[in-house]
Amino acid sequence: MPLLEINDLTLEFGAVSESKRALDGVSLSIESGETMCLVGESGSGKSLTALSIAKLVPTPPARYVRGSILLEGRDVLTLPDRELHRLRGGLVSFVFQDPGASLNPVMPVGRQVMEVLELHRPKAATRAEVCRLLALVGIASPQERASSYPHQLSGGMQQRVMIAMALASNPKLLVADEPTTALDVTIQAQIMELLADLKQRLGMSILLITHNLGVAAALADRIVVMYAGQVVEMAPALALLSDPRHPYTRALMESAPELGVSTARLKAIPGSVPRLGAFPSGCRFHPRCSIAAPECASRDPSLEQWPDGRKVRCPFARKGDAV
Amino acid sequence: MRPILEIENLSVRYTIGGGLLNGPANEVRAVEDVSFSIMPGETIGLVGESGCGKTSLGRAIVGLQRASSGVIRFAGETLDFGSNRQRVTSGLQMIFQNPYASLNPRMTVEQIVGEAIQIHRLAGNAADRREAVVRLLVSVGLDAQHAQRYPHEFSGGQRQRIGIARALAVKPRLLVCDEPVSALDVSVQAQIVNLLRDLQEAESLAYLFIAHDLGVVRHLSHRVLVMYLGRVVETGSSDQVCLTPRHPYTKALISAVPSLLPTHKTRVVLKGELPSPLNPPAGCPFHPRCPIAEARCRTELPLPREVGASHWVACHLAHRP
Repeated sequence: MPLLEINDLTLEFGAVSESKRALDGVSLSIESGETMCLVGESGSGKSLTALSIAKLVPTPPARYVRGSILLEGRDVLTLPDRELHRLRGGLVSFVFQDPGASLNPVMPVGRQVMEVLELHRPKAATRAEVCRLLALVGIASPQERASSYPHQLSGGMQQRVMIAMALASNPKLLVADEPTTALDVTIQAQIMELLADLKQRLGMSILLITHNLGVAAALADRIVVMYAGQVVEMAPALALLSDPRHPYTRALMESAPELGVSTARLKAIPGSVPRLGAFPSGCRFHPRCSIAAPECASRDPSLEQWPDGRKVRCPFARKGDAV
Repeated sequence: MRPILEIENLSVRYTIGGGLLNGPANEVRAVEDVSFSIMPGETIGLVGESGCGKTSLGRAIVGLQRASSGVIRFAGETLDFGSNRQRVTSGLQMIFQNPYASLNPRMTVEQIVGEAIQIHRLAGNAADRREAVVRLLVSVGLDAQHAQRYPHEFSGGQRQRIGIARALAVKPRLLVCDEPVSALDVSVQAQIVNLLRDLQEAESLAYLFIAHDLGVVRHLSHRVLVMYLGRVVETGSSDQVCLTPRHPYTKALISAVPSLLPTHKTRVVLKGELPSPLNPPAGCPFHPRCPIAEARCRTELPLPREVGASHWVACHLAHRP
């Protein structure tokens, strides 16, 4: 049984009469020990998918229309509040993009790690355990650092503290939502190295959300690409990066400037990311797609499973390299 | 051909504290002794981590920040903060990082783009001005019907186009672009990068392109400057800096860029973080994080040395492989 199984998750905002569908039939699963990357641009629904895992999307205004989220076999969406509180930061813990905004500015960071321990592992709520966790995420001299306030730490250090807090409950699933986006490249490299190291040492599953395919390439076992509330491609990382099949995945990879190669022009994707409530009919990528056929505007493509195991939401993606 | 912009020994320092309650005054050395020049139609990429002084340098050049010492010469004329500032800076415009914060939400696109035309009296009457605005909008890939709309009606990429049209309104010869694509969606970044390239070809614009994304910088720049703690540590052509970097900091910066191709290159992960520019380390500013630092790096500031054709590196050990 996979650790996490999301089936047909569909989420809407607004009144029933004029609802805006933000997630449309998202299905994915994560095995234990696996690192999955959810890649997409703003508005693709990647963060909503991740937050839904602990039912962190406020309802209302959001409304779950269909679907289930099975975490160790239990449906998160139907759990009572008391169980949800235990689950959040317990079985599943989160690391968010902006550590400066996520940490309490008036509490020493060691105390903040201690809070998690008191809530989820009361027997281990000791100063020694706090220091062990801080050391685990690569914070030098944890004894002294534990009494620092967030503003005394740099962005990279703050993110390490966030990761220590997330690990305090011995989670089975770590959800990291753009954990390196606010950081410099050199610090991003440090955090990525830390996550790779933790994954190996602790054997937990990681769901990493990012808009940067390079970050996904470094850490992922499998990659899920989302666009306008739908999964458009899902494949093992190596297969997806070496042979992307959905036109959007391809375009995304081609539009990123690589250091080693210098071409005259970048292959830009025309148009812009559709806004919530204004998703195009038919295939949602068709107005920006280079291989769109007339029927793409009306026919909604389904996510098809290919013989090699990958899933692609495009009926024309199969036609080899002519794409 | 004469450079469009010459910077000589420019330093920017900020004083913090020193008030009744703020403790003793401290000096932040944001930019220290930087010199370079930009030719017409050339793009200089300026890279470095946050806090390295790249934005302070850009702001000093367009006159948004007073330089503490040094000379800024634009088209042969020394920029001072007195009478000639408005005239000189009309040839020098800036594009900002955040297209959401840098456009006035209560002004229409026509007012935003037309404001500079009005201030610099570049159009005879309102009709001429309107025509000029439409021409500018078309040149950045928007059209006439966008002129009466407000910023909130546009996507991030379109807003950045409006910001570019506003900068182009006064027919500048140099654009200082401060992280112009880092707030945009990945699929839209390439559009703006291509637009900047097309405009450069059409108008022979020069760019100072400030960014932390080396991929984008490499793609746009003819030459690249790498800054660390206020100082330029390496300069050279885009190929020299990105393909054969010589400064250990540049090497680390380049290897930190995540690549799409799962290569098995050895990543140089830098230990530690950028020290505070309040009390920069003695000697080479990079020595506390440098993997190859020696005794003299701790005491002696390395001066830039030429290691290849127009390839300058400020490192005592740059001659080593």
